[in-house]
Amino acid sequence: MTDLLIFAIFYALLAFICLYRLIKGPTAADRMIVGDNVDILICCAMILFSLFSGRGVYLDIALICGLFGIIDTIAVGRYLDKKGRFHNVDSDHR
Amino acid sequence: MLIRIIVDLLIAVGLVFACAGTIGILKMPDPFSRMQASTCISTLGVLGVAIGGVLYAAVVMHSASSAIKIAVIALMLLVTNPVGSHAIAKGAYSHGYRPDKKMETDDLGRDFDE
Amino acid sequence: MQKTKYPAVAATFIVCFVFWVLLDFSFKIEEIVAGAVVSLLVALFTARFFIRENAGWFFNPSHFFAMIGFWCFTFVGELIKANLNMARICFGGCKDINPGIVKIPTEMKSDYGLAALSNSITLTPGTITMEVTEEEGQNYLYVHWINVQETEPEKAGEAIKGTLEKGLRRVWQ
Repeated sequence: MTDLLIFAIFYALLAFICLYRLIKGPTAADRMIVGDNVDILICCAMILFSLFSGRGVYLDIALICGLFGIIDTIAVGRYLDKKGRFHNVDSDHR
Repeated sequence: MLIRIIVDLLIAVGLVFACAGTIGILKMPDPFSRMQASTCISTLGVLGVAIGGVLYAAVVMHSASSAIKIAVIALMLLVTNPVGSHAIAKGAYSHGYRPDKKMETDDLGRDFDE
Repeated sequence: MQKTKYPAVAATFIVCFVFWVLLDFSFKIEEIVAGAVVSLLVALFTARFFIRENAGWFFNPSHFFAMIGFWCFTFVGELIKANLNMARICFGGCKDINPGIVKIPTEMKSDYGLAALSNSITLTPGTITMEVTEEEGQNYLYVHWINVQETEPEKAGEAIKGTLEKGLRRVWQ
């Protein structure tokens, strides 16, 4: 039974190590990649912890975590895309 | 007892690939290569946990609802991940981020930057 | 903006309701009725974004089993091969990479075929689809490739998507 808890702690530790790139990353795209992957790793850790503790509530938390991860990733991606095109159009008209 | 060993092996294989993706995120030189490395986390890292978790919930815990819910979560992560990855790659390229090193070929920049 | 069609609403309703039953997994009559009402409302508003072409296509058993066979056998084989390759690069210190963006032609015509092919390419580690364009009736994909071996469009396309496209051509045209 304890092995699942150990695997869950390892997954959460990987998510914690990823945060180094979030602090240091030179561009916004780097920070967004880290955000996406931290969501996925925390989702996996939640699934393993739900199996360890035997309560189904953590599975719902994992589902919501994955859904919000994909929504904010797509939002920031579209934002970067629109901002780049706007700058190009602006410099053409000047 | 045998099923516990199989579950542990599956989750350990997923952990190894997640570790490879984390090392790639920390050490790759430019944003697009970091994105390539991070795909390892969201494919085999998730699949190992999902297959192991479905086996554990169905055989050891005898709870069908948990097994089906884990399968639906893994399916949803696998289907929606390439959409977000494509959105970040296209947004970063059209925002003006380019790799530090000289690329081998750059057909997209040749066709769209004029 | 397309108009809402009733076969598309029915297909979207069936997909939403199946997901409700799988996630809820309790068979009391009140919860089934509540799920049906919510699924019908969601289907009425989102059917025109979800289904553009023939609505009954997915419920044909031959197409369904061809898709299941592709995702469960051909694609998983490619996925494991690419993952081992990427893990070898990452544990070796991220040194022997040779990134580049190549332009490859594809035979796919329909929207669903292009979406499935580009999402499959993105989901294998080592390749990311960045843009899809059409020139003179031929569709092209721009793919970021971490280890460029070929710069000719035909040979690069064969190396990136040869197996995947052969598997997907059995399902879509």
